[in-house]
Amino acid sequence: MLGFSNQSLTNFLFWATRKKWFLITLLLGYVLYLLPTPEGLSDAGYRSIIIIITALIMIISETIVLPAVAMYILVMEVYFGIGTPNSIARSFMNDAVFFIMGSLMLAVTIVKQGWDTRIALGIIRLTGNRTRNIVFGFTAFSAILASFIGEHTVAALMLPIGMTLIRNTSKNGENIPNLSAILLFAIAYGALVGSIGTPSGGGRNVIMMTYFHNFDLSISYLEWMLLVYPLVLIQIPILAWLLTKNFLPEYVRLDSSVRKLMIQVARAGDITGRNSLAIIIFLMVFAGWIFLSEKIGLGTIALTGVFFYLVGGFVSWEDLSRNTHWGVILLFGATISLGSNIKDTGAALWMANHIVDSFGAIMHTMPFIGDLIIAVMTTSLANVISSSATVAVLGPITMNMGNDTLHLGLVTAVASAFGYFTAVAAPACTIIYSSGMVRARDFLKIGWKMGLISVVLLIIYANTYWPLINIQH
Amino acid sequence: MKFLIAVGSKDYSEPTLRVGMRVANAFKAEVTIIYVGPKINEFTASQVRLAQERMDQWDFDRPGVEVLNWAFNFLAERKYILPVTIESGFRKNTLVPTGGTRAELYLQGTVCKNVNLILRNGDIISELRDEVSSGGFDVTIIGGSQKRRMAHNLVQYINSSIFVVNEFDYGEKYHLLLPVDDSKSTPRAVRYGMQIAKAFDIQVDLLTVSKTDKFGAGYRGASERAAKLLKKVNIKHKIHLKTGDPSSEIVKMAGNNHIIVMGVSTKNPLVKFLTGSKPLKVMEESSCPILIVK
Repeated sequence: MLGFSNQSLTNFLFWATRKKWFLITLLLGYVLYLLPTPEGLSDAGYRSIIIIITALIMIISETIVLPAVAMYILVMEVYFGIGTPNSIARSFMNDAVFFIMGSLMLAVTIVKQGWDTRIALGIIRLTGNRTRNIVFGFTAFSAILASFIGEHTVAALMLPIGMTLIRNTSKNGENIPNLSAILLFAIAYGALVGSIGTPSGGGRNVIMMTYFHNFDLSISYLEWMLLVYPLVLIQIPILAWLLTKNFLPEYVRLDSSVRKLMIQVARAGDITGRNSLAIIIFLMVFAGWIFLSEKIGLGTIALTGVFFYLVGGFVSWEDLSRNTHWGVILLFGATISLGSNIKDTGAALWMANHIVDSFGAIMHTMPFIGDLIIAVMTTSLANVISSSATVAVLGPITMNMGNDTLHLGLVTAVASAFGYFTAVAAPACTIIYSSGMVRARDFLKIGWKMGLISVVLLIIYANTYWPLINIQH
Repeated sequence: MKFLIAVGSKDYSEPTLRVGMRVANAFKAEVTIIYVGPKINEFTASQVRLAQERMDQWDFDRPGVEVLNWAFNFLAERKYILPVTIESGFRKNTLVPTGGTRAELYLQGTVCKNVNLILRNGDIISELRDEVSSGGFDVTIIGGSQKRRMAHNLVQYINSSIFVVNEFDYGEKYHLLLPVDDSKSTPRAVRYGMQIAKAFDIQVDLLTVSKTDKFGAGYRGASERAAKLLKKVNIKHKIHLKTGDPSSEIVKMAGNNHIIVMGVSTKNPLVKFLTGSKPLKVMEESSCPILIVK
């Protein structure tokens, strides 16, 4: 047929069936492009909305690889006249992208240091061998650590500790589903709960800091902590309680498995001078985030830490390069660029007004309804695509949905961490799922409860505690 | 020859392994057992890899390794393969990455000539297609418990013969059903059918279906040539000439006590995509194991 061999036709058909969502998305984009621009919206604004819709479908359907989606966003912004090539390039790279890049590299470095053995020792010494105490310890430790170094790093560090306890408890390889679920969910959900605590807890927080800056708001690392950290502390015991209620552990005490873990940890040897130096570098990064981030940015500080780790030979460039997904960084840059442009073209304000208008008087009589809408919208999208991409795209819209931009932005950033619902909702969830020790249906079983509690808590917290804390910004 | 056997889980892969291995042994083929795990979301792929590296450090096998390990031991216990214990072998189960999401598995302290173990993650059709094309496999064997749509896609897009081990019952006395006609793919299907009939020591039912009452020289000739070949190697066989819709007649005759071996459709791929084909219809409607020979 038309000179094509059977093999090339088969190859084409295979490509077309795998890329059907891509082809449908392009067609949808073209149809939207032909429609007249809605009233009250600029041409550039309308086109940026077309890019958002098509890019989101591409990300959700995973029809093309993420770097290709990033390139699609960037080139379409230029082709659609949303910005000049230089302005698009400028909006693509900023401190938030530096931070995401730096934090992914710091994660590789930290995980490679083998601190997990020390962490295991520390937790067990504090909790003893009662299962309930260990669950609380895992939850609290994961949350507190994740609030500073990010959920994915903590999940990667803590996973082998949890798995070892499960393996040591299992007799002749028998399944212990409840103990497996309770320990691994304590790690993943604990890390998610904690990741909202400070700006360095996740790329999404830093993206929100960048948007605050774009809206001429200023909030420091400590001010963020003051506003959000109490919510972390409230959620920790609630999560531990919820886990023990939903997954009744098969063993009340983990005597022998804890002993075996201690023996395994003891084999790791004593802390060396080099170990201490690696910790000192990290503490310096942490101090930099607290005291210098307003001046030089969180991303610059994270990259400074990576620089010292590289120069000191704590990690090789090959390791960093292999374990850093450059395509994801490209995509975050592209979504941040798109987020900035939907703000500048007025598309964000137009969409925000439409959402507010569609809920009408109810939002004025009951202001918390606005928070509920933002939380539900953000949580839903964050469970489907990445939380950072969610904040990058939704942030400029939600921040226009009322007068208190700081309040709205923080609700968005916090709600984006509620990625509890599926095994692929957040990196921490995917990491524990990759162990093969928890089932996909467990995420739904516990996830909706945790999601519901978190949303309700956030709304109560944001409308009671934040008004008491009057931060000048 | 090279055979690829795809396994899914311990619960459902036993018939696939037993039947697949018996067929592979009949062809004296080199066998690769593959497990394709779920696709890892691109957003988290690097973090998951990092976590898995830590799991390796703590001597944990990655998901999928236990299924391959079980498959290997299962075949060894039933003497389908003859592994050799080597003291100087790998200290633990070792995955050697070979690019992308593909890794070769080397089991702790044991090895078997002509048996390879592969672990992949991703979309199963894409991963099997890639494995077949890079490894040059002649036959891909999958379980019938895997979705029919998947088998359909495999037949459509994979460049090897496909054996779908549908609902195999060890207690059943199977015959081999060999539909023959004047198409180009029939002679190859007959050769494959002959080998399998020999391996399983079963009778062959040669079936030729004509849409009209007339059986042309091509149809009769194909049937007679196949019978002659079978006679030459002393395989019991019967010739059946039937009138009707070929796919329905094949499914009807197959019942649930035949292994079907038939040639792939020689239609243009685009026509096959839009209208389907005889082997695809048989595969979808029949509950017997079926080998579609390419």
